[in-house]
Amino acid sequence: MESQKQRLIEFVGVSKDFDDRVVNDFHLYINRNEFITLLGPSGCGKTTILRMLAGFEQPTEGSIYFNGTAIEDIPAHKRAINTVFQKYALFPHLDVYDNVAFGLRQKKMDKERIDQEVRSILRMVKLEHLIHRKTNQLSGGQAQRVAIARALVNKPEVLLLDEPLSALDLKLRQDMQYELKEMQRALGITFVFVTHDQEEALTMSDKIVVLNEGVVQQIGTPTDIYNEPKNRFVAQFIGESNIFPGVYQDKRTVSFFGQDFECVDENFTQGERVDVVIRPEDFDIRADGPLQVEVEAIVFKGVHYEVIGRGYEKEFVIHTYESPSVGDTIGLSVDPYEIHLMKVHDEEI
Amino acid sequence: MKKYSTPYLIWMIALVLIPILFMMILSVTNTKGVNFEGATFDVSQWSKLTQSIYLTALWNSLRLSTYTSIISLIIGYPVAYWLSQSESKFKSLWLLMIIVPTWSNMLLRIIAWETLFYPRSILNSVGISLDLIGSDLAIVIGMVSIYLPFMIFPIYAVLDKMDPSYAEAASDLGASPFHIFTRVTLPLSLSGIVSGVIMTFLPSATAFAIPQRLGGGNVLLIGNIIESLFKRTFDYNLGSLFSLAVIVVIFLGMRVLSKVDAEGETLL
Repeated sequence: MESQKQRLIEFVGVSKDFDDRVVNDFHLYINRNEFITLLGPSGCGKTTILRMLAGFEQPTEGSIYFNGTAIEDIPAHKRAINTVFQKYALFPHLDVYDNVAFGLRQKKMDKERIDQEVRSILRMVKLEHLIHRKTNQLSGGQAQRVAIARALVNKPEVLLLDEPLSALDLKLRQDMQYELKEMQRALGITFVFVTHDQEEALTMSDKIVVLNEGVVQQIGTPTDIYNEPKNRFVAQFIGESNIFPGVYQDKRTVSFFGQDFECVDENFTQGERVDVVIRPEDFDIRADGPLQVEVEAIVFKGVHYEVIGRGYEKEFVIHTYESPSVGDTIGLSVDPYEIHLMKVHDEEI
Repeated sequence: MKKYSTPYLIWMIALVLIPILFMMILSVTNTKGVNFEGATFDVSQWSKLTQSIYLTALWNSLRLSTYTSIISLIIGYPVAYWLSQSESKFKSLWLLMIIVPTWSNMLLRIIAWETLFYPRSILNSVGISLDLIGSDLAIVIGMVSIYLPFMIFPIYAVLDKMDPSYAEAASDLGASPFHIFTRVTLPLSLSGIVSGVIMTFLPSATAFAIPQRLGGGNVLLIGNIIESLFKRTFDYNLGSLFSLAVIVVIFLGMRVLSKVDAEGETLL
């Protein structure tokens, strides 16, 4: 049981209309000191949710509670929430120091304290050598750190991050993922992170909210979301998945492609139509495997090969360390616990 | 890039550089008009530069064009700001209403003011009698009405292009709407203000038609003097000298202004 005290933020039935409805009946609670990620494709409403929390947008319906108080009518500058903007929005007329000091000066803190705080946060993000640099002379990674420092120096209860890593190159992005996670642990601040990158979400989050077209698809830990996707959208959005139509048999058995497979899911009725999800890395290539597919293409991915196979009028994506040849017929088997079943929703195609 | 700049270069040489060189030659010779026959090197007109009538005219020009710029800024900035923030569907109509007057003949608009500024005017019918002709106020009203759009547009362009996330970031960091304006929006729009000031100051410093109609012969600006030197007394030599003097004064003024801007960026 989670105690009421731990809950820092609560969205209750929040909807937002622009011309169309972009967020629909959104419910979520965020615990203190949690790293939560809003994940979804562009236009799924994730940024709008973040902007409502920051105070830049008003919900059309519903309420947002912060420490138990409704905050819809509190303007952005009076909320104990700071934001790292997607393109950083560093003030171009101020240098690094003045950008970071901006929030503290609003609080009318005395000069010496401001100086201490600014220098200490810039040390934390390893930028003390750039303290009087103009912001237009910073690299992407440096600008990113300044943006984080500018927000964190205010010691907010919640830090909002709007796709902050999307402009960085891969190496830098991976480094920043670890650093951000470290900062969040060290500072004990709640992070609300918005991204369309599922890998980023899986790496950093305590909890992931998967959104599509303004509607929550699934809320859960990275492991839950990856291993137990609730529907087709989540299964396809988080990593690559093979999704096959199947029928649930009794006694932990599912049949697809005319064969019976042992599985671990129990919450289905006999004869129910289900979607069978198998991750590409969960196939084992064995000559006597129950599924036989023909290899159509092989792509070397660095650590593994991605094999595109065809059989039973379906495409199979298989990750393997071996390299079969195009045109070979290979046998595939799957362990029972690697087979995940999802309910079929009629509205899905 | 370079080949596209050729027409511009030809334009600059033909219409700016050659005329200025020509004026430089005229200012140190004693031609009769543009007739160079028998002309010799002569700088006797240079002593006239410091005659009080000319200095007064130059001072009047700089003074009134400064007023014009300041008043245009005070009126123009709020208008530009409001327009840039406006989400009204009539926004392009408002913009058009600011542009359209500049399409009509400036002299017509000045004469319109002139008829209102005489003690006996159409305004008498509503019980008002202005007696402004010949006053600084009349000239400044005329200049502001003509040049205001040139203040509004550069500022509007900067504000309209400004990324709204700067204001949001400021708000996020605890700035009230007032502080968002003074600490972020205003300093970031400084380049628009400088362009606006230059674009209102320059034409008003060299104006001659406006002071001629609205000054009633009372207020003499440097533009009027240059005009009469060229068109009445045909003293091209002294006229050229004054034209060059005005160019130098304005150029120095711009230098100061751009310095203020550079410092302003770090100050604010």
